[in-house]
Amino acid sequence: MGRKIPLPMLIMAILGFCYMLVPIVIVVLAGLTAGEFLTFPPEGLSLRWVIAFLQSEKYLSAFFFSFRLALMTMIVATIIGTAAALFLSRTRFIGRGAMRAFFLSPVVLPGVVIGFALFAFYISTGIGLTRTIWGLWIGHILYSTPYVIGTVGAALASYDVSLDEAARSLGASPMRTFRKVTLPNISQGIQAGSIFAFIVSFGQFEVSLFLSAPNSEPLPIAMYNSLRYKFDPSAAAAGIFAIMLVTASVLLTNRLVNIRRLLDRN
Amino acid sequence: MSSAPQIEARRPIGVNAKHLRWLLVVPLTIFFVVFFVVPVGLIFATSFNPQTIGQVSVTWDLTLENYVRFFSRSNYLMAAGRSVLLATLVSLITLVIAYPMAFVIAKTENAARNTVLLILVLAAMQLDMVIRIYGMMVILGDNGLINQMLAALGITDPDQPVQFMYNFLGVILGLVQFSLPFMILTLVGVIRGINPSLEEAARSLGATPRRTFLRVTLPASLPGILSGSLLVFALSISSYIVPALMGGFRVGVLPIHIFQQVAEGARFQFGATIAVILFLISAGAVTVYLRVGARHSGGLA
Repeated sequence: MGRKIPLPMLIMAILGFCYMLVPIVIVVLAGLTAGEFLTFPPEGLSLRWVIAFLQSEKYLSAFFFSFRLALMTMIVATIIGTAAALFLSRTRFIGRGAMRAFFLSPVVLPGVVIGFALFAFYISTGIGLTRTIWGLWIGHILYSTPYVIGTVGAALASYDVSLDEAARSLGASPMRTFRKVTLPNISQGIQAGSIFAFIVSFGQFEVSLFLSAPNSEPLPIAMYNSLRYKFDPSAAAAGIFAIMLVTASVLLTNRLVNIRRLLDRN
Repeated sequence: MSSAPQIEARRPIGVNAKHLRWLLVVPLTIFFVVFFVVPVGLIFATSFNPQTIGQVSVTWDLTLENYVRFFSRSNYLMAAGRSVLLATLVSLITLVIAYPMAFVIAKTENAARNTVLLILVLAAMQLDMVIRIYGMMVILGDNGLINQMLAALGITDPDQPVQFMYNFLGVILGLVQFSLPFMILTLVGVIRGINPSLEEAARSLGATPRRTFLRVTLPASLPGILSGSLLVFALSISSYIVPALMGGFRVGVLPIHIFQQVAEGARFQFGATIAVILFLISAGAVTVYLRVGARHSGGLA
């Protein structure tokens, strides 16, 4: 390994990892500091801000609001995303690539524009979704489903279709083949996709900006609103819980699917 | 036993199943048409309506006055220019920082170590940007860790801290932090796809490791460099949260103008105009990205 990677490259990579990870470590330290805010040198550790978070009406309710929203998003995104991934992997037709790109596109298009578009759509149609959890839900599904399609698509790409054919030739119905053969084989991909959907919704900011209501806002919006005015270490304590949630879900994803294989294009 | 009747009996089901397959994609298609295509279409339509404060619904009164206003006010043109410049710079800086990281990840053969590095990248990517910005603000702020350290060492006057944020620099630092994981993941796929025998051939012909890298590895990773840069461009030009917090609303980019027009001024039509322009710039970059990606391997999207 040492010979394959030139030393300057290795040093630059280590600095790069520091740039990527130090802010996250700092949040953890800021949430555990004993002082009013994080200073240099640090004033020692305490759980006072974690306790403050657990007792704060604002952050705790935002945390659970986000959690509930992410669960709701995960359920729908997993079902419709898996169905679409199955379709895309099994059907050959002109425009399949374009359809796939269309379903994946929300991930890279401006969230503020999509949030604004939904906001204006809710108001002008008057369907009662303006500034409700249901309106947010729709925006989050739009942004989470592509991750399910990508992850389940990857699982299906490495799935051997001849297993299906074998089951069918032995007389199993299409539905039975799906339930007994296909589904068990791709279920880990589906689980990984649903975790992605959850975590993307949990951290979603840009789409939520136009869609959330002042009294019931997701955690990122609540943190943003407090950060605009002052440094609140209990926000960092809330961040610690979010960091734990994200770390746990990435570790879980890694147990379900080979994350190294997710990078291969399908 | 007799296979012929079985096939006979199965054929109609098979034909049905092929048509039924389209039902799988119906829910998502309906969802995307109703909640994605129609709302974005309405924004496009709204942008051609005359500016009426507080008015949301689309009318048949069509005009180009919003676009004329956008392109005749230096304020908005500069915001567009600033957005493009910012996203371009961020793409370049992110590339320089991410390439060595991706290279190390791609060349780490130890599976456990490799997985740990990828987990770190994925966790950083999935973590809510507001939390990462909180960390950056603690480090870079006027009373932040770096300024405290500089003052403690007597390098700077505590009353005149170095301005790392609430300016253009802060927005760049934040956007690079935001973009790094996306660039890394795009590059890892491409670097790993390079045939190692190419590098070995260059080495065995007497090329130094440096020359091998510059002449073989780097050119072979160009497709990843291009698609990663386009992806980062599209992501960073769309960001609201980073310019808002790291720029302290002093760096006026397009997403900030959209929010100000709509949420603070109730100017839906002009806000829609800026939104359309941002959408088109971003979609343009994404389209080129997909074209590049279709021809080469690598990348999550």
